[in-house]
Amino acid sequence: MLLANLSLTARRSVSHRLAVIFFALIVSVPIAWALFAVAGQALDSAALHALWQQPQARSALALSVWTALVSGVLAWLTAARLLAIGFVHQTLMRWMQHLPALLATPHAAMAIALVLWLSPSGWLLRLVSPTLTGFQSPPDWSTTQDPWGLGLILALWLKEVPFLLWIGATQLRRDDIRRRWQSEYGLAQTLGYPPSAAFARVVWPQLALTLRWPLLAVVAYGLGVVDMALILGPTTPPTFAVLSWQWLGDANVAQQAMGAVAAGVLTGCVALMAALIMYGRATRWLLVRGAMAVVQWPPLTTPVSLATSAHGVPPPWTVRAKRYSHSYGLWAALLVAYLLSWFALAVGSVSGLWPFPHVWPAQWTMGAWQQVGRSTATLWNTFALALASATFCMAWCMAWLELAPRAWHAALRPWLLLPMVLPAIVWVIGLYSVALFVRLEGQWLGLIGAHAVMVLPYVLLALEPAYQSVDARQGAVAASLGRSRWAYLFAVKWPQLMPALMAAWAIGFAVSVAQYLPTLYVGAGRFDTVTTEAVTLAANGQRTFMSAYAALQMLLPIAIFWLASVMGRPRQFARSAS
Amino acid sequence: MTTQGLQVNTVSLGQGARTWIRDDAFSVAPGEVLTIMGPSGSGKSSLLAAIAGTLGNVSVDLEPLTFVGDVRLHSQVITHLPAHQRGIGLVYQEALLFAHMTVAENLLFAVPQRMPRVERAATIQAALTEIELADFGDRDPGTLSGGQRARVAIMRALLAKPKAILLDEPFAQLDETLRAQMRAWVYAQVNARGIPAVLVTHDRRDIPASGRVHTLQREATHVG
Repeated sequence: MLLANLSLTARRSVSHRLAVIFFALIVSVPIAWALFAVAGQALDSAALHALWQQPQARSALALSVWTALVSGVLAWLTAARLLAIGFVHQTLMRWMQHLPALLATPHAAMAIALVLWLSPSGWLLRLVSPTLTGFQSPPDWSTTQDPWGLGLILALWLKEVPFLLWIGATQLRRDDIRRRWQSEYGLAQTLGYPPSAAFARVVWPQLALTLRWPLLAVVAYGLGVVDMALILGPTTPPTFAVLSWQWLGDANVAQQAMGAVAAGVLTGCVALMAALIMYGRATRWLLVRGAMAVVQWPPLTTPVSLATSAHGVPPPWTVRAKRYSHSYGLWAALLVAYLLSWFALAVGSVSGLWPFPHVWPAQWTMGAWQQVGRSTATLWNTFALALASATFCMAWCMAWLELAPRAWHAALRPWLLLPMVLPAIVWVIGLYSVALFVRLEGQWLGLIGAHAVMVLPYVLLALEPAYQSVDARQGAVAASLGRSRWAYLFAVKWPQLMPALMAAWAIGFAVSVAQYLPTLYVGAGRFDTVTTEAVTLAANGQRTFMSAYAALQMLLPIAIFWLASVMGRPRQFARSAS
Repeated sequence: MTTQGLQVNTVSLGQGARTWIRDDAFSVAPGEVLTIMGPSGSGKSSLLAAIAGTLGNVSVDLEPLTFVGDVRLHSQVITHLPAHQRGIGLVYQEALLFAHMTVAENLLFAVPQRMPRVERAATIQAALTEIELADFGDRDPGTLSGGQRARVAIMRALLAKPKAILLDEPFAQLDETLRAQMRAWVYAQVNARGIPAVLVTHDRRDIPASGRVHTLQREATHVG
């Protein structure tokens, strides 16, 4: 009897182990293979020598490092301050409701919106011309493709703050962590620290350590970004990633080799940043201490309102946790920036003739939207790619987080997160080589695979905290009630995880929609999506069409986020049993 | 005439339509340990939060908690003061040692900042010796035993020189022998410093000899 039981568990664990190996292999093989393929091309010493001889290479590299670092630091400080306000005033969870819309705004759409605002013929100058400036025609300024990359820095900053905020808020969404930090924060106050100091010294150092990975992703994104830099970035020289991309697209094989080596150099920069952010003691000190000033100043007060009773003195006081309104300043500024961007895209997409100093277009047209409506192939490509890659990634993560032993997950995790950190250009070179080898270049399956690699880390990051907060004893309870593992998953675990599952799926969808390089390169230029169209149109300066595609690039993921929030809504119970 | 000690007068304490405590009052003399008992969900921990001034941090399902009443320390009304200006120490069942600081840094966190550096270091060393952890200053708090953690947590609260101290089931995670030692030590500390102390517990053995007990009733006022 006992023996029979033993062999039963042993057999199940073999099939379990086989499943884990299977799931580990289907993602790690393509990732490892792509990296191996790119390593061969990026370490070409002759091409490296040629790259070093290029006059614009060094200044382009300096420009890339500058834009990535400045936007990263600004995003870090802003996110730190927002997390402090959100924590102290307990508004973070309500902000989270609006966060998906900000996250779903693709980088390219944000860049296009900033062009509409900031370019010499943009809205900002129209609003003050000719009354203040006296301009009757757009000045000859380089406000959007400025040589310092300031436009690019602004766009990256605006796009990365919601990302850091989202990761920080997912930490605080875990009940165990939130309760502990709230108690520690209260305790620090009873020891004599005012609220902002209590947050800065007790909660922030612990929170900041968990945000180092995302910060690295932010800086790495800034280093490797191509679509935004094509739209907003400097041109003479462009950023290093754009230079690399231009060389890769060159017909000349020597130029292509140089492009691959440039991607390797970018990877080296990311590795250096990773070493500094993850292991550098001085950087760690700077990240925690440097942000403490903005976290504490101006000081935040506890949200408590006081009112004496009508009877006057001596009071019973009424102490009530209060929702602060003036704490919305910084958050409101961020929201307004996004609202203005969306508004610019909306107006831009229906603008016809629009002579310069006029604030509003002289003619309105639905032409761009009619063309969008006719481009069913583009819409279908975008939708199908996003649906397939997000669904695959979510299913994979659910299986993996369910089955993988802790040690396996810990070992594989850095590799799974790598696509977030290594420049996209590195991945497309590697994935293209893999796709060529298995003859999937320019094919649906190859393109879905390439998107899935880019989407996976975001879906994993979105799901992990939810899976960690599941109380494992619930499974034991279900089993002791005689229910099978599947019954537990379907009736208990997945329903509880529904909001997180839906959110992760929507995030995956949004990440896929925003992909530019993989679609163009692994798809061998045969697949147009709303993103490739928007970037191409922006490069040609076609205001109306680029606005329409950028708006669409944003509307698709926002619609999905809305759908996900409806499907993942937690169960509502009657408030009392009367 | 002024009354010494801590007086808490609760008109109501609740959240939204629910009220946990209504028309309740007690006072604690300097050096006394008053034990508060009551069934689960009777609002004991929320009452401590109202006294300490950390009510704003306690969010249950995002509905704010409301306390109507007043808290006095040595006849001074402190209800309107923020937590960090009240001088009321709080010790939780979970020791809540800050995980990113060493044991010594945890204690140092509570020592007034204006004290000279050398003096602060000496204070910490004396405190560590007093709780029999003289060589543990550089340790990660995660490596301490339950009893050691509890001692550090209570010593940290005392180092801030509180004018009153609130103990929220501080012995609940200790085994029986350790509990007896800890009780004796904590009550001796409270006595020696002459500060009022409020103890919330479920265990009648925690009540100090000849100590007073204040029992909260469960209010079942559900509106709806």
